[in-house]
Amino acid sequence: MTLDAAIRLTEVLLALAFLQQSLEHLRRFRGEHILFVLRIVLCGLVIGGVLAPWPLVGLALLSLVMLHRFQGPYNGGSDRMGLLALWCLALAQVMPAGPAREIAFGYLGAQLVLSYFIAGWVKILNPDWRSGRALRQVFAFSTYPVSESLRGWAQRPRVLTAMSWAVMLFEIAFPLTLISQPTLMVGLGLAAAFHLANACLFGLNRFFWTWLAVYPAIVWLQGRVF
Amino acid sequence: MIQTLKLLLPALIPSWNFFDVIADSPRIEYTLLNAPEDGDGAWLEFRPRPERLPVPAMVGRLFWNAQWNETLFIISCAERLMETPTEHSQNEIFRRIAADLTEQPGAAWLRFRIALLSEREGAIEREIAFISAARPVASLSLP
Repeated sequence: MTLDAAIRLTEVLLALAFLQQSLEHLRRFRGEHILFVLRIVLCGLVIGGVLAPWPLVGLALLSLVMLHRFQGPYNGGSDRMGLLALWCLALAQVMPAGPAREIAFGYLGAQLVLSYFIAGWVKILNPDWRSGRALRQVFAFSTYPVSESLRGWAQRPRVLTAMSWAVMLFEIAFPLTLISQPTLMVGLGLAAAFHLANACLFGLNRFFWTWLAVYPAIVWLQGRVF
Repeated sequence: MIQTLKLLLPALIPSWNFFDVIADSPRIEYTLLNAPEDGDGAWLEFRPRPERLPVPAMVGRLFWNAQWNETLFIISCAERLMETPTEHSQNEIFRRIAADLTEQPGAAWLRFRIALLSEREGAIEREIAFISAARPVASLSLP
């Protein structure tokens, strides 16, 4: 995948993810409408490839207004990845062709790899994760399970220990998938399935769409480096 | 502006330490009062989860999950309120509870509290960590 194609695909996927989020905000609070209608318009321009790179720059500036409005990201980690992707893309688009542009976009791909590796690393250092206790606590009393019946999973310690190790090992091993395009595709497929499970069980749909949007960055980086 | 850039920085240089420890988990509860000096009435859980969620509904939430995402934002506000109390966090929680009350006219005042759930020696414990002052519902029904 060429740099231009990867940037274009990432910006379209990210704009679609932002579009989905922004539509959710229109259901109430008219005071917030102006922010999200503006965001929808800018996303439309990005998808249409109109006036590039200014709609991306506009989205980046608008993200500052939204950070101020909500005093931080609206939805934690998923919005942070969205912000990172947006600022890397905007920077890559305003840079002249050359190494600086590659560095701006490559940083996004590298952060995607780190997002899995570090998340796995911090878990495996924690004895509660290694024993399955942490995942049991997630199901037992955390905010995330989308229904009460899912809390019953907390009573399956062996299954949760196996799931904990599967998640930790996958996350830590993710950088190894960079050795070739086929292994990377397998890795990204497993990662997407992991995000899909999180979206279904814990309602984290924004993670699913935002992380998927960034996948072209790692596909390009793999081809560029290996 | 500096403050906003400080909010952006963790996104540009992320830590990625998702779920490294399972922290105490907040629940929002609210009560409706006829007058601010009334004793606490019945505390109701804000947006309790359904007993079950069918698979088609889970899949549908991939595309439309507005209420759940707003609930996660309110939980973030509750966590912020525990760490660094601000008017912003309280205002957001009040405002979004009040917006859900449009079908319950009559009660004039609203309070909320934050219960923290945690695990101690294998048992789940519940502790009330914050109780707000009462605010008039009418003042919260902003667009």
